[in-house]
Amino acid sequence: MILKSVAEQALNEALKTGGDFAELYCEDRRGGGVGLVDGHVETATTMRSHGAGIRVYNGLSSVYVHTNDTSLNGLVAAARKAADAVDGAAGVGDIHLTEAIAANRHPIRVMPMDVAGSRKAKLLKDMDLAARAVSPEIRQVRANLIYWDSDVLIANSEGLFTGDRRVYTRMACSAVAEGNGESQSGSTSPGAMMGFELFEDRVDVAEQARIAANRAVTMLHAEPCPAGVMPVVIDGGFGGVIFHEACGHSLEAQAVAFGNSEFAGKLGQRIASPIVTAIDDGTMPGEWGSLNIDDEGTPTTRLTLIKDGVLVNYMVDRLNGRRMNMPMTGSSRRQDYTFAPTSRMRNTFIAPGSDDESEIIATCGDGLYAKSMGGGSVNPVTGEFNFAVAEGYLIKDGKIDKPVRGATLIGRGSEVLKKIDRVGGNMWMAQGMCGASSGSIPTNVGQPMIRVTDMTVGGR
Amino acid sequence: MDRNEFVKRLFDRISEREKTDSQVRYAGSEVCFEAGSSFEVQVKDGEIIGYNVSDGTGLGFRMLTGSGRVGYASTQILDEAAVDQLLDGALENAALVESEDEQFIYAGDDKYPELKLYNPALEEITAAQKIEMARKLEKLTLEQDPRIAQVEDCAIFSSSDFRAIHNGSGLDVTNRVNLLGGYVAAVARDGEKVNTGFEMFFTMKPEEIDLEKVARRAAKEALDGLDAVQADSGAYRVLLRNDVAATLLATFSGVFSADSAQKGLSRLKGREGETVAAECVTLMDNPHLETSAASTPFDGEGVATQPKAVIEGGRLNTLLHNLKTARKQGVKTTANASRPGYAASVGVAPTNFYFKPTDVGFEEMLEKLGDGLLVTDLQGMHAGANPITGDFSLAAKGFAVHGGKLGEAVAQITVAGNFYELLKDVEAVGGDLEFRSPGASCFGSPCLLVKRLSVAGK
Repeated sequence: MILKSVAEQALNEALKTGGDFAELYCEDRRGGGVGLVDGHVETATTMRSHGAGIRVYNGLSSVYVHTNDTSLNGLVAAARKAADAVDGAAGVGDIHLTEAIAANRHPIRVMPMDVAGSRKAKLLKDMDLAARAVSPEIRQVRANLIYWDSDVLIANSEGLFTGDRRVYTRMACSAVAEGNGESQSGSTSPGAMMGFELFEDRVDVAEQARIAANRAVTMLHAEPCPAGVMPVVIDGGFGGVIFHEACGHSLEAQAVAFGNSEFAGKLGQRIASPIVTAIDDGTMPGEWGSLNIDDEGTPTTRLTLIKDGVLVNYMVDRLNGRRMNMPMTGSSRRQDYTFAPTSRMRNTFIAPGSDDESEIIATCGDGLYAKSMGGGSVNPVTGEFNFAVAEGYLIKDGKIDKPVRGATLIGRGSEVLKKIDRVGGNMWMAQGMCGASSGSIPTNVGQPMIRVTDMTVGGR
Repeated sequence: MDRNEFVKRLFDRISEREKTDSQVRYAGSEVCFEAGSSFEVQVKDGEIIGYNVSDGTGLGFRMLTGSGRVGYASTQILDEAAVDQLLDGALENAALVESEDEQFIYAGDDKYPELKLYNPALEEITAAQKIEMARKLEKLTLEQDPRIAQVEDCAIFSSSDFRAIHNGSGLDVTNRVNLLGGYVAAVARDGEKVNTGFEMFFTMKPEEIDLEKVARRAAKEALDGLDAVQADSGAYRVLLRNDVAATLLATFSGVFSADSAQKGLSRLKGREGETVAAECVTLMDNPHLETSAASTPFDGEGVATQPKAVIEGGRLNTLLHNLKTARKQGVKTTANASRPGYAASVGVAPTNFYFKPTDVGFEEMLEKLGDGLLVTDLQGMHAGANPITGDFSLAAKGFAVHGGKLGEAVAQITVAGNFYELLKDVEAVGGDLEFRSPGASCFGSPCLLVKRLSVAGK
């Protein structure tokens, strides 16, 4: 993408005013999307983005400048702009880069940008037809495919010169059911760090569309969820959003370094029920949150965050590693070259436990079964979180009873982690886009079925 | 190459290709060019912990082909190769589109409103001055009360953006906007108790910046909630504070889009002329407010914009339209074609969207409420709110109100309702209009007194 000598000149320029570390992140991305609504392909787009960001550290201060101009002159000008904001002793640049090639754990077979439009249109139509076939109550279906192919180059003043190619493919299907003057929707959106082989190897688009449509129909016939405090069984897959929101964000170094986390200073302490082990793994082949190297060029890792209820690791990026005096964990990520990177989650999940799923429900008494979760958010300082239940059922006397809509779960991360009294044996993951200070990035959430002894359930 | 040269090359190529390819149409071609610069500085304990400077350009191309389909392509590189990439990409994408809706490339209006959306004085504020402002905002916040233990996040930002739309049918319009803003998140601690308070501002007029007020509000929010208790579950009369009402409006603004309605994704479909809200509710879309970066003389298709009441006295006057949705419904566009970025396709969105204020003060609104709940914070909008059905169930904070006076703070509750029902349940509208979330659309509201919402607590 750019020459080593160009990167060397830009990095040398960036350190001229006394910065002690400089980094160059160059990215060339091609992507596109096709969308269907009302049974017709309505939009098709293609995009190409290209640019670079230069970061300079001076102790714990960090400056970030980004530009579309990746010519030698453009990069040197951006580097100078970054250097101008650093107020240190004059430095002398003498950087020599050595090329390192990261091993590729995610080989791609079918590049999305090479797939014919007709095949993309067919996948969308398959979703539309499958969803509508579920019930005459399905009145609208939106189907989308998005994909991008990003070529990144990372160089820094410690001599690193490396690169990575990241290819992502994702589908989304949303179905709306209508009846009795009401409407409800259901959606699914699986994706992977894969090309279009995703639709041969892992994802059956019609099956996904049926899941979305069934959810919409079920919720159309559901009653409003009663409000109150009750035991809650949260199923696997996207149910892992509870851990992502309620705990994961508070274990990112960007929150911990400044004490903006309820888990700051708690390494080695019990923060969760002893049956909880949680992992953040950036190495899983083809997974949505995986990377060969993070966005600072550090190889990704499999990191145990919580072991048998005890906090053992934070997710640490380079700058916050300096602040906390801790090693990097390959967790530094950014949406694209327009964002400075920071510590973020990758594929984050509660590890499988030993409880039997049917026993978890049978011994629950009266409570809520959250079969499918929507999204949520958290205040990392206080740990207060909220998230929506996309498909929920009341549990009555240990049996799954009628479906309920509009349920919201709220609580504090530190409290809910201690209240987990069952962890099932079958773990799976689901895909999301996680938004934070370094932009919107692909992350996996996951867990087996878990039970929380009591939670505040919002409803009507 | 620079923008003008690139656009000229592109249109030259189009007229060449037009002669040999019946799909390529000079009059059907349009570029949307954007150039922007932005700055943000974050401080912590007076030290700079984040400093971001950006310059970016991008160009979006769309073509209405000979067979009446629209295809899009965009690029951030303006080189010779990009000329063909855009042209081929747009043609290829257009060939995929099956929608029968009639599409338009607009020839332009005779007159566009003249709006002052760019203040050169803002460009003269140096990075050093902005850093000082950020430090001052942090310091002022910490000084509000000994219990303000730390500032979680404190930043000053500025942006300056240029947009031009040019097409082969004669449209050639440009707009420039800039703004300066900041935000602070205060953390209050008292023993084991902890709470946060967030406040932000944005303006085009630097002389109006009042950092002390921003600091005071953030600190107050954090301190007020320290002793919060969980309210009892039940149905409450509720006063939604101005910023909370604005956030709810933002979440459900899509229901006013004719595009959503035509696709069956809004319950306001076909309801024009009917009463959809309480009589005291008037909902405005005003693209001409000279205090907002969402203001614009022309919409995403180049149509001249105008202010309008979407709901007036409870009656739905119109939905928001672009040229396509207006043609489909046989009405005139409301000039609400959106293009949230140069790469985005044309959709429908409001500009500055707000409930029209009255002259009733906040204290008087509390008195009107009498006994009930003041909601000062709602969280989880992207998950706990269903923009199609209007249902919401959201984590909330606020205060109990007894006899028109603020009582104990409440937290760890959810507030649930339905946006369509809420519009009808508004009993009174306050006078304290305030705007939130500067962006492609900007949302505002005064405080709203609502007859009934469900609260889940203890």
